[in-house]
Amino acid sequence: MEIFIQQLVNSLSVASVTILIGIGITLIFGLAGIVNFAHGEFLMVGGMITWFLVTSGLNFFLALVGAMIFVGVLGFIAERGLFRFTLEQPMNGFIMSIGVSVILQHVVIRVFNEVQKTIPDPIGKVWVVGGIDIIAMRAIVVLLTAVVVATTYFGISRSRYGIALRASIADQDTAALMGIPVRRYVTGVFVYGSVLAGLGGALMIALFPITPFTGSVVIIRGFAVSLIGGLGNVGGAVAGGLILGLVDGLSAGYGSPEWTDAYSLVVMIVILIVRPQGLLGGTLGPRAT
Amino acid sequence: MTLLQVDHLRTAYGVVVVHRDVSLTVDQDEIVTILGPNGAGKSTLLRAISGLLRPKNGIIRFDGKDVTGLPADRMAGIGVVMVPEGRRIFPDLTVLENLRLGAYCRKEGDAIEADIRLMESYFDVLSTKRNAKGGELSGGQQQMLAIARGLMARPRVLLLDEPSLGLSPMLIKQVRSVINDVRTKFSAAVLLVEQNAGLALAVADRGYLLQYGQIVASGPIAALRDHRLMHELYLGQGRGAR
Repeated sequence: MEIFIQQLVNSLSVASVTILIGIGITLIFGLAGIVNFAHGEFLMVGGMITWFLVTSGLNFFLALVGAMIFVGVLGFIAERGLFRFTLEQPMNGFIMSIGVSVILQHVVIRVFNEVQKTIPDPIGKVWVVGGIDIIAMRAIVVLLTAVVVATTYFGISRSRYGIALRASIADQDTAALMGIPVRRYVTGVFVYGSVLAGLGGALMIALFPITPFTGSVVIIRGFAVSLIGGLGNVGGAVAGGLILGLVDGLSAGYGSPEWTDAYSLVVMIVILIVRPQGLLGGTLGPRAT
Repeated sequence: MTLLQVDHLRTAYGVVVVHRDVSLTVDQDEIVTILGPNGAGKSTLLRAISGLLRPKNGIIRFDGKDVTGLPADRMAGIGVVMVPEGRRIFPDLTVLENLRLGAYCRKEGDAIEADIRLMESYFDVLSTKRNAKGGELSGGQQQMLAIARGLMARPRVLLLDEPSLGLSPMLIKQVRSVINDVRTKFSAAVLLVEQNAGLALAVADRGYLLQYGQIVASGPIAALRDHRLMHELYLGQGRGAR
């Protein structure tokens, strides 16, 4: 039982990073139809910035905020400078994003190097909960993600901006007729997704080493959770992340660990064939008129 | 006084030209209709005026100001609001959320809440369904919600695209009285596009007859009614809703 609980917390902490990136992917695609493969590199850059700041002597949690701001600005520049121009041709945007992802990898290698980076455990404590040892940092990752998920979810379902966002995801033209500045929402969502990727990168490097190529692994899992849940659906991304995280964690603990990635991607493929719109229902991208 | 003025408008989807040279006006407190057969370019004309489609050429003036090329969200902000064809209610949002979104460009919270109550008392079906999802309403209820949502922006001119589409004769009658009330109770001018000539002829003061993207006749509705083309276009259709 103790091992199971520890395995569960470990799975949830891995799932957290995937959920953070999945929320960004699902919102950006759902609203703007942008398939941004550089989103994984945004996370990697967030991790690298965190590493740089922490090794320069900054407190981890300040470094985390720094990474979120840095990647948020990066997202703003990418949206205003690049993706804005391919909104009408999503395929061009997709190809461009692959280019951006390779460029970001090489910029990071050029600025730092290609060696994997780690930081010491920022908390370095083990909490004993009900007689079970839990690594504190892992629990904090899960809690922080839960707060972000709850805030995002309530923001989208309750606030005026969230309702306008859902309306824009459902039908851009009609949303514009209501006076909703859809283009500005695209920028806002892109930046928000980037900030979450920055947070995901910071949390990831607190748990695992990161290399300049981490992003390309993360992005596949990010798209997997968004697709499993239904694109454009934040609740779906969370459900998808939990499913994938549990499959991962439990297969690593009880199955053959070397097949971990394959298990989760098989789950994605099966769900996409059986339920193309995702488990919780999503959009096929902005409605074309 | 001229509220909306369209001069020499040219529109196209890619290389396909829809309108070569269309001019029209809508005065304050006026109900104007655009009539014409399927594919004449009526809906495209409304899309261009509402800002959803950027005109290739020509000038659109609203309240004396040049507003050509303003995007739809800005047009809504200045008082040119379109109720699109097929109602386009947000199916996953509640009736109340749909209404509130209609007032997105307004800031005064109290006045918006007051207008929601006004809409609910005017369209009584909306008050009983306020927490239902938009997608759960019947076609007629959705049309009432679509018009109410448009009115929530407090438009100065309301562009209505085929409001009678798919409705029963009973409901079409109701739409007709709502259009009249848009002018009297909500003090907005109306630019109406209709397939149902009977409805259009019954409510409008003035009309334009559009064919192949060109205006072939215009004038007071009484004069249009007897236009040679009207009989060709709407033979046997005009009596139904009158």
